[in-house]
Amino acid sequence: MENLMIAATERSPEVDFDFATGRLSLKGESYPEDASAVFGPIFAALERFLGDAAGKDVQFDFDLIYFNSSSAKALMNMFQLLDAAAGRGIKVVVNWHYAADDETMQEFGEDFSEDLEHVTFNLVATEG
Amino acid sequence: MGNKGAATGFNLFDAEERVLAEATALRGRLAEAEPDVRAGVAALAEAYGRSVREQRRLVRVSDRLQHQLASVNQELAKRRAEAEEALTRLREAQETLVQAEKLASLGALVGGVAHEINTPVGIALSCASHLADATAHMRKLFEADDIGIDDFERYMDTAADTSQLILGNCERAAELIRSFKQVAVDRTSAERRQFNLAAYIAETLTSLKPRIRQAGHQVEISCPPDLDMDGYPGALSQVLTNFVMNSIVHGYDEGQSGLLSITVEECAPGQIRLVYADDGRGIADEHRNRIFDPFFTTRRGSGGTGLGLHIVYNLVTGPLEGQVSVDADGGHGTRFVLLFPRRASGGESPAP
Repeated sequence: MENLMIAATERSPEVDFDFATGRLSLKGESYPEDASAVFGPIFAALERFLGDAAGKDVQFDFDLIYFNSSSAKALMNMFQLLDAAAGRGIKVVVNWHYAADDETMQEFGEDFSEDLEHVTFNLVATEG
Repeated sequence: MGNKGAATGFNLFDAEERVLAEATALRGRLAEAEPDVRAGVAALAEAYGRSVREQRRLVRVSDRLQHQLASVNQELAKRRAEAEEALTRLREAQETLVQAEKLASLGALVGGVAHEINTPVGIALSCASHLADATAHMRKLFEADDIGIDDFERYMDTAADTSQLILGNCERAAELIRSFKQVAVDRTSAERRQFNLAAYIAETLTSLKPRIRQAGHQVEISCPPDLDMDGYPGALSQVLTNFVMNSIVHGYDEGQSGLLSITVEECAPGQIRLVYADDGRGIADEHRNRIFDPFFTTRRGSGGTGLGLHIVYNLVTGPLEGQVSVDADGGHGTRFVLLFPRRASGGESPAP
């Protein structure tokens, strides 16, 4: 299926979904006025990809420096989707990147990983 | 966002809404199919539990975001206070510089006074010296009892000529001192009084004469002699001084001399229009709307403070209660037009 590439805007993250290699990433800031407009296409593509990804290895990198509550909810929905796919036998690795001095973003990662049973969740601190 | 979600087919709370719908349906079926209901209720409980955990997380997300916002606001308030403090200090410094600039131009005026008075005092001094010599010579002849008619007549002529020259030049010096004193007092005291506009312009220009002469410029003053003003002559003197000094410093190339003119008319009853013009190189288009800004100068390196025309602007719009505009055409000189009332508003000033 077609890769999904969306450039970052001031209030939405860069989306880089390379479905051929199974490497997906969200990067930047996320506080859109209309979360549906930003996350709708992302979910549509992700659902289609995971529905058809049997036997594939998926690596999802989250490298976010700021997000609002709607985005947080969307991220949790995304993790559920990934966990469900992992439960069906797809190997899913999530890397949660945060700046080493950003405690808040680290705690968000810890919180979000709580409910995940099948996904391999890595907290990755990045220096300066 | 719920409404917009319908358009894109996406809803953040889709799962919760579906579970809720299931729960409603299950409630209806509770009596009939018990095994189904049990499984359904179990799924419902699990989903609800997940939802609650998410809610908790979201509350934490929200709290952390608010905490961040609060810190940012605090930082912002601190920065704002610092910026305001810096602005206050800057304004104070600017005020100090404006005062210093005014004093500096007063210094130039004193220099002009010294130069201008030097001539009559010098003439009076050499006349007095000549008279003293002639008198000593007469005394010698008198003591030797050897004064001829010719000697006496020559001495009388000398005494008459020199004393007249001494008197004339001392009067000239006294007159200069009187007018300079008035200009200097007006400039430093900023007091309101009545004055004749033409005479005052002439007095101010006299104090600038050495600088104008040095640069080789001509000055033309055209002002009705009967314009009696009631206001702040010091402000006007400062404004004219700054115009003239600007023309001398900025208006002409080295060695080039030109014509400075001051033209005054009563353009409407009680309203004075004063046009100061030179025929120098003018003001560049890109500088014209910045010349009244404080610290704007094209001569920072060579001692320009960028305060001259800022002071002009403040004096014209302040004490003179008027307006000033610039009218410059690259290469055709510079023209400043001042409009101000003959009588400043507020109380009448005491008669001079």
